[in-house]
Amino acid sequence: MSIFSVGISALNAAQVGVQTASHNIANASTAGYTRQQIIQTTATPMFTGGGYVGQGTDVQTIQRVYNQYVNSQLMTAQTGASEMDTYSTQIQQIDNLLGDPNAGLTPALSAFFKGMQELTANPSSISSRQAALSAGQSLVSSFQSLNDQITQIRDGVNQQITDEVTNINALATQLADINQRIILAQATGANQPPNDLLDQRDQILTNLNKEVRTQTVQQSDGTFSVFIGNGQPLVVGSQASQLQAVQDSSDPRSTTLALKATYGSTMTLNESLITGGKLGGLLSFRSQSLDSAQNALGRIAISLGQNFNDIHKLGQDLTGTLGADFFNMTTPATYSSELNPDKTTVSLTAQFTSTAASDLTTSDYQLIYKGGTYTVTRLSDNKTWSGGNLSSLVDSSSQPFAEGFTLTLSSAPPADGDMFKIEPTRNGAQDISVLITDPRNIAAALPIRTVTPTTNTGTAKIDAGSITSVASMPLSSDVILTYNGATNQFSASGGLTAGPFAYTAGQPISFNGITVTITGNPADGDTFLIQNNANGVSDNRNAVALGALQTGKTMVGGTASYAEAYAQLVSEVGNKARQVQVAADAQQALADQAQSARDQVSGVNLDEEAAKLLQYQQAYQAAAKMIDITSKLFDQILALNS
Amino acid sequence: MIRISTGMIYDAGVRAINEQTAAALKIQQQAASGRRILTPSDDPVAAARALVVSQAADVVTQYGANQENAKTALSLEDTQLMNANDVLGQVRDLAVKALNGSLSASDRQSIATQLRASYDQLLGIANSTDGTGQYLFSGYMGDTKPFAGAVGGAMQYAGDDGQRTLQVSATRHLETSDSGLDIFQRIGNGNGTFTTDFGSNTGTGVIDGGTVTNPAAWSAPTSGSYTLRFTVSGGVTTYQVYDGATAVAGLSGTYTSGQPIALPGSQVTVTGAPANNDTFTITPSSSQSVFDTISNLITAIEGASTTPAGQAAYQMDVGGAIGGIDRAAGNIMRVDTAVGSRLAEIDSLATANSAVSLQYQQTLSNLQDVDMTQALSDLTRKQVELEAAQKSFVATSKLSLFDYL
Repeated sequence: MSIFSVGISALNAAQVGVQTASHNIANASTAGYTRQQIIQTTATPMFTGGGYVGQGTDVQTIQRVYNQYVNSQLMTAQTGASEMDTYSTQIQQIDNLLGDPNAGLTPALSAFFKGMQELTANPSSISSRQAALSAGQSLVSSFQSLNDQITQIRDGVNQQITDEVTNINALATQLADINQRIILAQATGANQPPNDLLDQRDQILTNLNKEVRTQTVQQSDGTFSVFIGNGQPLVVGSQASQLQAVQDSSDPRSTTLALKATYGSTMTLNESLITGGKLGGLLSFRSQSLDSAQNALGRIAISLGQNFNDIHKLGQDLTGTLGADFFNMTTPATYSSELNPDKTTVSLTAQFTSTAASDLTTSDYQLIYKGGTYTVTRLSDNKTWSGGNLSSLVDSSSQPFAEGFTLTLSSAPPADGDMFKIEPTRNGAQDISVLITDPRNIAAALPIRTVTPTTNTGTAKIDAGSITSVASMPLSSDVILTYNGATNQFSASGGLTAGPFAYTAGQPISFNGITVTITGNPADGDTFLIQNNANGVSDNRNAVALGALQTGKTMVGGTASYAEAYAQLVSEVGNKARQVQVAADAQQALADQAQSARDQVSGVNLDEEAAKLLQYQQAYQAAAKMIDITSKLFDQILALNS
Repeated sequence: MIRISTGMIYDAGVRAINEQTAAALKIQQQAASGRRILTPSDDPVAAARALVVSQAADVVTQYGANQENAKTALSLEDTQLMNANDVLGQVRDLAVKALNGSLSASDRQSIATQLRASYDQLLGIANSTDGTGQYLFSGYMGDTKPFAGAVGGAMQYAGDDGQRTLQVSATRHLETSDSGLDIFQRIGNGNGTFTTDFGSNTGTGVIDGGTVTNPAAWSAPTSGSYTLRFTVSGGVTTYQVYDGATAVAGLSGTYTSGQPIALPGSQVTVTGAPANNDTFTITPSSSQSVFDTISNLITAIEGASTTPAGQAAYQMDVGGAIGGIDRAAGNIMRVDTAVGSRLAEIDSLATANSAVSLQYQQTLSNLQDVDMTQALSDLTRKQVELEAAQKSFVATSKLSLFDYL
């Protein structure tokens, strides 16, 4: 009888072998499938007087050909590749947007200043003025359209974060569910491994890591617990927490993340700790590239607006009135944290300083009031300024706060621990607009002119003059600069009284915001007049000054023109996009490598399975033959009686 | 031995084909657009530089446009100044003709009539406008007609002293206009240092315009003018220079017709026979409008008297007017010379400008443009590589043991 049972055991084993090979072939292209193999051992031998007699074979288990180390490497590589790929896809949008030589800011800036230059050629022509004004409006639309597109990208990021959260929650729920099924399967199957469930769980984990980087811990009951951030539990056993997309407490335009534990409260997650996967890519794109790009664009708009307005207000328009603001300027955006206990009563406002054009950076700032001290942090590099009140903030080397804006609280001091966020340049490109509607109101002229009276007997001449302030304009009457030969001095009388000023040819004489330069040899009693520039419609001196802003280095502490600041932005984005692309390629190569390493171990090779099929087929045929022979042997015994 | 799973063969094949296709597409886009930098990330440094250079190129183009505008304005001014100079030439010829003692009253009247026409012609030039209706010579006040006046009255200038400018290079703001005040009004009278005039003389003495021999020694009279007074006593004519009522020590002597009479750092010459108590005044120069000079000339010609003293006065008036017209012409030439040198400056700037512009275009092209030969050769290479990847994939994936079972 035992020969029969040996035969049957061989037959069974071969069947299981064929079945397993077939299962492998069937799942050759199933994602995450790990090839299985049977573990065959000899059956327990039977002791006889003649020694241990073999009892056939035994299929002990079917196991996965699986390497834990290679698998976790694959997950790590994929979460990195997925993060970089997402970052790269996102930043390419800005890269394309800014770099287009025909659609970026550069052509609009050039066209605007071209309009100003055309105006200098024909300051009294209404059509030239209208062209300059229209160029100003086009520039504003360029700023706004670039900004709108960045805002759309931002909205897209917010939407994708929400979508990611949905994906992650679905995966977490699946994972918790499969954890539960694995416990049940193991209990039912006498501790045999539920191979296909384990594969499914690995696949879910892999997918989860493509969304966000997780840490996995295997529990003693065989389930996996999954954590995100710095140890916030996403799945524990068969329980999944809910990730939530919520509004940032200190910036209502940003969607950020919170985690709601199964039993417990919701806590906001620190964005900087959420890394890896698509979610990590979105978050780092937003904080490292999107914000700074929008800020850089805003800064150019604010600087241009401020410089232009400053000069425009020194001028005189076609109607003889002093220039007004050309561009509309707003104030820096400020937000009170939702967590401030006095958020309904205390608010923060910010104002640009008069030197904002050159002082502003592209960073956002945070203000915290704690223990009687205000601390402002520049978020790009965490440099801080602190002090007992908002007007006397100093940095670690006692240098005053000079970042282009000042801060005021609606009521001070605020509650201890209050937090505010300041985005000085974020809205710059969005908010800029042209205030002037009547082309005659472009201040192309200066409000003063100089006259050398024909009664002078000396050879001295006066230049056209310039002004730094319009506080004394219009002049109540002509200012008369009279030369006193005995003392070699000029003194001003008439509309303004000033001096005497010692005369040196070519040395500027300044008073009341007016600067004139006299050259040559004046005779005693010679006079020069400074008058209101009445009817000075062909005067283009202020338009020339406005046009000169195009190449003036007025930004970034006086080191960059507008076009250069924009080029800097393009170069930063371009460099970052390139760097991210290179990193994405590297991470992808790493992931491909890890995938190969895993497939080398766990992937199905059809040729190999074909060989196994043959092997088990032959084993089956041999076992069948064995039973046939056994049967024949038995027949021989029976034949003895017949 | 490395174990290969069937999936790896497909993955690797697809990956290789994808990579080759992406690379080929990139080259195709570059070749199709002619641009080496499709997005800034392709070459961030060059992309940023291209933006700065393209602005610089725009600015240079704008300077070129401004140069053209300045050239138009200055050419127009040049033409009008030449016209003014021609008119002054006619005036001078007429004035010289008027000096001829043998002229009849009707001859003089005819000269005066021609002079009036010249006066109006010059006024027309001074009030000329450019193509857009802006007055050329009114300074900043382009909409204001600068000159208003008529023979016999003083010319009123309603413009200002402003000079319009255009930026024609990074550092040069070129003056594109000159004020009428500077051209037609602010003309030093007399010899530029002082002017001579005569009182209600009865003699035939005629004073010239005087010359400055030593500018450093010239000292202006404290009372406002010097008076040269002649005394005829006993057939001897003597003179004395007074500063107001004060006789200036050392400036006196016996008069000889045509002999220079010394003044501080300068001298005047009187010819003819001054009568007793005849006076001449020497006043420091101030400005006189060319229109007033012509107007005075016309008045003098029309009001010529035949008395000896009247003749002397006529000679002095017309002679003085000729000097004034010469100085006015000199002043216009001074301005026109400046205009001419500005025009020359524009020409040289324009040459430099087009060289710089070309330079920028080349730089931009080097930064941005694709090397077409290189691109097409790369594209062909990629094509070969892509085909190789496809063929090898097909060959590898065909191998299967099942084919032999």
